[in-house]
Amino acid sequence: MTNPIVITGSGVVSAIGLGKKPTLDALLDGRSGVGPLVYLKTEHKEFPVGEVKMSDAEMCRLLGISPKAISTRTALLGMLALDEALKEAKITTDMLPGIGLISGTTVGGMDMTEQFYPDYKNNDNHKEYIAVHDCGSNTELTAAHFGKFAFVTTLSTACSSAANAIIMGANMIRCGEADIVVVGGSECLTKYHLNGFNSLMILDNRNCRPFDASRNGLNLGEGAAFLVLESAESAQRRGVKAQAILSGYGNACDAFHQTASSDEGEGAYRAMQEALQQAGLQPADIDYINAHGTGTPNNDLSESQAMRRLFGDNMPPVSSTKPFTGHTTSASGSIEAVFCILALQHGFIPVNLNWSQPMEDGITPVHQSLRKELRHVLCNAFGFGGNDSSMLFTKTEL
Amino acid sequence: MENKTLYVLSAKQISVQQPLSEEWMTQPVLYQTPYNRCIDPSFKDYVSPIEARRMGKILKRAIATSREALTASGLTEVDALITGTGYGCLENTELFLDALTTEGEQLLKPTHFMQSTHNTISSLVAIQMKNHGYNATYAHKGISFDSAMYDAVLQMRLGKINSALVGGHDELTENFYHILKKGGMMGHDDEMCAEAAVSVVIGSQGSNSLCKLVDFKILHQPTIEKLKNITTKYKADYILTGISGNHSKDEAYLAEAKELFSGAALLKYKHLFGESFTSSGLGFYVAAHCLKEGKIPAHLFVDPTDKTDRKPANILVFNRSDGTNYSLALLEA
Repeated sequence: MTNPIVITGSGVVSAIGLGKKPTLDALLDGRSGVGPLVYLKTEHKEFPVGEVKMSDAEMCRLLGISPKAISTRTALLGMLALDEALKEAKITTDMLPGIGLISGTTVGGMDMTEQFYPDYKNNDNHKEYIAVHDCGSNTELTAAHFGKFAFVTTLSTACSSAANAIIMGANMIRCGEADIVVVGGSECLTKYHLNGFNSLMILDNRNCRPFDASRNGLNLGEGAAFLVLESAESAQRRGVKAQAILSGYGNACDAFHQTASSDEGEGAYRAMQEALQQAGLQPADIDYINAHGTGTPNNDLSESQAMRRLFGDNMPPVSSTKPFTGHTTSASGSIEAVFCILALQHGFIPVNLNWSQPMEDGITPVHQSLRKELRHVLCNAFGFGGNDSSMLFTKTEL
Repeated sequence: MENKTLYVLSAKQISVQQPLSEEWMTQPVLYQTPYNRCIDPSFKDYVSPIEARRMGKILKRAIATSREALTASGLTEVDALITGTGYGCLENTELFLDALTTEGEQLLKPTHFMQSTHNTISSLVAIQMKNHGYNATYAHKGISFDSAMYDAVLQMRLGKINSALVGGHDELTENFYHILKKGGMMGHDDEMCAEAAVSVVIGSQGSNSLCKLVDFKILHQPTIEKLKNITTKYKADYILTGISGNHSKDEAYLAEAKELFSGAALLKYKHLFGESFTSSGLGFYVAAHCLKEGKIPAHLFVDPTDKTDRKPANILVFNRSDGTNYSLALLEA
């Protein structure tokens, strides 16, 4: 690309902490945030989850908003992550009318809907929460906390939502529609999707073990992350430092099944290939892949096949960071993008926790902490319905 | 980046008007009731009876309009499938929520959950069409369809794709109609709450297209000056507004339209098609077919004295959703 797109700010909140500093420490120390359920009200206490260790009221206090304000956990998580990203990129309120915001979510305000649904049907109690059920309203709640953005929209492609928000933002910058677009995703845990995933029998009642022979499903998590995408020219003009370059991205559809991936990982293969092609890189140039690696038998096998098809004998180190955070669904693409940026900046490969035995026909992930200088890293995010996306991040000082 | 001209190759709808037809141009179906569901065609040509039993209405409509739009476009496949849906698959969301609240958390079946995520629509169309291309779903209130269209337009300008099937789909169950009305989301004054299923194919080339798509923009909370900077360049003769029968909103909508487009004739379509998060997709469809026919039906004029038989050269679809999110689609014959 002639005018590269750089990341000039990033912010994250997940089970391993609020903000990039605690996140980096947890990743380097191999400290997982997955554990017994505390905040979500559900009968399913048997499933470990990656909860953000704060109640809604505590988040409101941190954000300086009234706990009585009409909001949702998805929106609050989004505000926490967006705050860090905007500050890092030195973006002030007066600049927002020239900046776009694209978020990804699927759950949206379902945390409130599932609590108040009987009221909605039978009486007027809590009716003010009806307006924050849909995905777009959650993005607007998050956006309005900071000011008036020039453009606001929401991607909803299940577990690749945030990744697709990143792709759309990058296309806007390449088209010259904006110099800066803030992109990412936010998703809270809900009884609705915990039960949904349980009904599909893809939750593990032990800590998830991606790419392990004994893997038996995923752990759900929650969180949010945003990246400030900016044309290199604009970043230079503003005198803000680039954290990494978004050098390529791909989106393809597996077109196989509503909730399962094809054996050969067609969608995943195409998405990764497109990302490499756009960046003008060869498989041998990739130093690390942050896999989607949910820990379900189906995903890890399908993703392994896709990586093998593309990389052959040049398989780079691979790990899934889902054992740290749980599967943060719609937010996973941007949360893991932040992990990749940290890995590039600090020269390490996050360990694939909980791994002990190779799976049949699978890749062997990085299972011990590894300090390594990285140049190019791929980050995968795949969603139900075969909505597969891949992002390629490159170190700034090559 | 230069705005290269794109073509609207086809546009098909299922709505409260006659399905998969442009009969509304001459014989619109008129309603007196505040809430109406689509007039559905027979789906047997599109899905097998076994599949149809498990599929929510929104999915069957999406398959039908997508397939009809693809056929009418003259293309055999498209490079991208992009869908907008404000509320996603509400029928299945409701069934899963009902089960969760009445049966509890122990005996839930996966069918309704699987079909309740927003991207079910676009991924099902991909499975049906065996399409491995770019696939995305937008869920952003009244600009859900518009966001999907904007994505397609940008990727065509970048040369990443040469064609796209852009959908706008929202269904409305009776239960959710009452809930959303209670929440102040719709159903004010004379507003008709409805459903929308619209599929549009756009391409970078078109010999037999409905019309040209000259420009497309989305704005969030713009100042009037910012809007004027854009609209003065358009020189549009007809403005298709989204006034819906919500009195106070319509008043502000029309006042702003008159300020921005003095001299242009204002049009409407929601009195026929109703209001939903993706009704702007039906507006796009209406404008494209008026340009193809070379005629604007008399019942679309906001002010009857503007009526004319003059062949329209262009129509600007001016979506002002809640006065917050705007989209501008400039279509030319």
